[in-house]
Amino acid sequence: MRTVDVVIVGAGLAAAAAAKRLVDAGLETIVLERFQLPRHKICSGILSPRGHRFLLENFGPLPRETLHDPASCRGVTFHFPSMVSMPMDFYGGTTPHLHRKYADHWAIQRSGAEVHDQTAFVGLQDNGDHVIVQAKKNGEPVEYRARQVIGADGPSSPVVRAVYPEYQQSIPWFIVGQKFHEIIECPLDEQYFHFWFHPDLGHYTWSHARDGRQIVGVGFKRGDNFAKKHANVVNYFSDKHGVRLGEPLDDEGCGENFGPSLINRYVFGKGNVLITGQAAGFLNMIGEGMSCALHSGAICGEAVVEARLRNRPMQEVYRSMIASEVRRTSDQWNPLKIAFDRPHEADFPAALMALGWRDRAKVLRDMWNFVVLYKEFKWGRQIMRAALQRPLIGGYSMRNWL
Amino acid sequence: MIPEISDLALTEPGTIGPCHVGPDALQGIKRQQTNPTRWNGQGWHPFAAALRDSGIELRENIAACGTFATDAGGTAYGLPHGVVIARSTAQVAALLKAAQQLRVPVTVRGGGLTTEGESVAFGGVLLDMTGMSRVLHVDSAALTVRTEGGIFWHSLAEELRRYGMDYLSAPLNLTSSVGGTLGVGGIDVNSPRLGCSADQALSVQVVTPRGEIVECSDTQNAELFRRVILGYGQFGVITEATLKIRRYTPLRMHYFYYDSLRTAVEDMQLLNRNDASDYAGILTIMDCAVNLLVAFDSDEREAAFKENWQVQLRGHGEAGFALCMLRRYALRPWKLPEAWYLLQRKRELFPEFRRPEYLRDGLMHDRTVVFSRAVWKFWGSKQMVIPDLATSAEKFVAAVERGNAVCRKYFPHYTLYMVGIKLRAEHKPHYEMSCIPPDAEGWAYGCEFEPMMDDRVYSRDYLQSFKNAIYDIGVDLGGSYYRFGGMMKGYIRRVFGDEVVNRHLAMKREADPAMILNRDVIF
Repeated sequence: MRTVDVVIVGAGLAAAAAAKRLVDAGLETIVLERFQLPRHKICSGILSPRGHRFLLENFGPLPRETLHDPASCRGVTFHFPSMVSMPMDFYGGTTPHLHRKYADHWAIQRSGAEVHDQTAFVGLQDNGDHVIVQAKKNGEPVEYRARQVIGADGPSSPVVRAVYPEYQQSIPWFIVGQKFHEIIECPLDEQYFHFWFHPDLGHYTWSHARDGRQIVGVGFKRGDNFAKKHANVVNYFSDKHGVRLGEPLDDEGCGENFGPSLINRYVFGKGNVLITGQAAGFLNMIGEGMSCALHSGAICGEAVVEARLRNRPMQEVYRSMIASEVRRTSDQWNPLKIAFDRPHEADFPAALMALGWRDRAKVLRDMWNFVVLYKEFKWGRQIMRAALQRPLIGGYSMRNWL
Repeated sequence: MIPEISDLALTEPGTIGPCHVGPDALQGIKRQQTNPTRWNGQGWHPFAAALRDSGIELRENIAACGTFATDAGGTAYGLPHGVVIARSTAQVAALLKAAQQLRVPVTVRGGGLTTEGESVAFGGVLLDMTGMSRVLHVDSAALTVRTEGGIFWHSLAEELRRYGMDYLSAPLNLTSSVGGTLGVGGIDVNSPRLGCSADQALSVQVVTPRGEIVECSDTQNAELFRRVILGYGQFGVITEATLKIRRYTPLRMHYFYYDSLRTAVEDMQLLNRNDASDYAGILTIMDCAVNLLVAFDSDEREAAFKENWQVQLRGHGEAGFALCMLRRYALRPWKLPEAWYLLQRKRELFPEFRRPEYLRDGLMHDRTVVFSRAVWKFWGSKQMVIPDLATSAEKFVAAVERGNAVCRKYFPHYTLYMVGIKLRAEHKPHYEMSCIPPDAEGWAYGCEFEPMMDDRVYSRDYLQSFKNAIYDIGVDLGGSYYRFGGMMKGYIRRVFGDEVVNRHLAMKREADPAMILNRDVIF
């Protein structure tokens, strides 16, 4: 059995950031990845400027191979059923269009951690002063003994399942699927990520250009039919925006946990197990999770180092440190912050004010109709409670966290 | 087909790699890796063997290395492969020769009071200079002292007192080393009159990155002297230094209290311009209680101040200020918690500056001990996060006010420390690419913005955002910083410009071909 300081499950961006902090501090760290690296990753790849800066400052400039074509994205365009479109540029200038397969591989290599790929996490046993991690390498059982385990293994995290068996049943799940189409004619500006606030299309509908193809993506509640939803979106694009696409050449989909950031119900682990990245529930508005994965991953690594070197309680340190990232992420979903502050990396209020007053009214009405789509999840009260907490206690209550 | 990851190799130190994202990505500001990659350990074993062959004791056990895991900033963590305690100049020279040959990074550390990880080793060997801490010779007639570089200022002060002497100026934090301070600047409350600590060096003995031992001063090897003083440890290790000293005098202290940063700064600048005091500095409790500290070495100077300048100062005495505060918070009852904090802070702080063992007959003895104790007790926490701004006299008020607004946004409690630095015209070449802003004439001014952490735990990320917000002001105003190395080195090219940085980089490459000495601090 291999004995190390820390085992990180997952080899994505959160894992790379955590590994970087741990390796720098001299802790022996092993990263477990169930697939062979570099591995495919379903993602729009549009990283926020804040995430770009983090990558640069921690891992250096991005090699060309880690970017798709177009290599950058200028901003986000919102489309509404009333046919108003609002393009918004990112504050920080253009931002990378990451090829996750190679970007993740590059980051994890740059972290300096030892990576065991084709090794799937199976379970863990927290024995107080150490954790036994059970995994399977190419089907063969393998065990690790570590002082701490970090779960950075994405939304449907096996580590979260191992620590909180009930949790994943308690939150609503969405499926996001995207298909890659040949472009016949596409008037949508390829420099922007396009998003539709349209309740008839789905809970999350987007499109952008990648490597000469057009991605048409749709998010919906688990149980709905992807093919039907997708066909509906393609027809809508054709009718309303003049987008003419060939047959899809490829498709993919995965489960997403949209809820935790909205209602401040993050899951950070217990004992010697820490959860970070999207596994913990971090997701920015418009579904960008990479920048908060990087920052929360780094904070997780720092918390382990801080707690070990200063002999302080691990979970307490992690929770105090992660509060700033929780504030930043949940602010993005906080209606009071959206109305009176600038929590996002593109200027929505300015784009709204640039419209005529009639269009402004249409946009607000359309947004309300879109929000009503989420009524069934009964998040309204929880969102308002979190929003009111913010000015009162200067942050979001830690009591909701697991 | 799987593409090769081509840029995996490290970007050449000091340069910024190509950005494939777009010319306007991150607002077109070229950024660079500021959290260094841990050195891969290639060549460590032959290096360790070479050191042992030369009789140099190398400690590789985790306990020895772990001692140096972080610095006073407490945000950067790194672990060296091994630690060497400096014993002699010859030993340091042998170590650097071997390191240069085998390309092993060397991180030099004195008191470890850096805040951005400059004295943290991300692999390689850590050279602990505190082993070289003897005072070699005190010349009371010529008013000079020759000392080893690893000595702490408080030890030097103690030794000098036996001769009735004192150093000119040293950082209020007395556990920084002489060598380290000469390499970065050092400010004291007498800096408006006597300049920064680095300017008191008459000559230094330096071990260059190639392992040569060179004595340098304004007249001997002047170019190396220029590079080493305020050179952030890039061009050599200071093993010995000859410093100017002066006769020891107790201090006549005066405190003036303000509720406006601008007024206090203007009054401090008035005193400095007119050489009206021997010591002048501002220390605040947030921006509500601003204390201008004025002190004198002699009764004559004090009398002259009282006669000519005291009436011009707009600050209050203690009672007057109490009334002023009473009025302020009576009109703003919702700010009562702030008033309570001020009161608590006053109760803790004031007795510390008036301890009877140091205050006799109205004179403060051993100011260095008084200040240093207070710094550690009331300002130093487990993490010293002190971003700063250094500007010319004209831009200083704007810098302080904008920095103060950033502090207000990020932290409930903080303190500001401001002081002027008299510049030596003949030392202008020393000041290039240093904490002295390029446009400063006569005096440079610096302000440190220090959050009071209390018992709160902040993530490095949050602290980094705070520091970035302060440093962006410096870029905006065209100033400089005291701490621009390590994690803040992304600002070097932004404030000094490519031409200056590239020139220094070329000099560094010439002096240190393997780029091993204090990597990732500046280049």
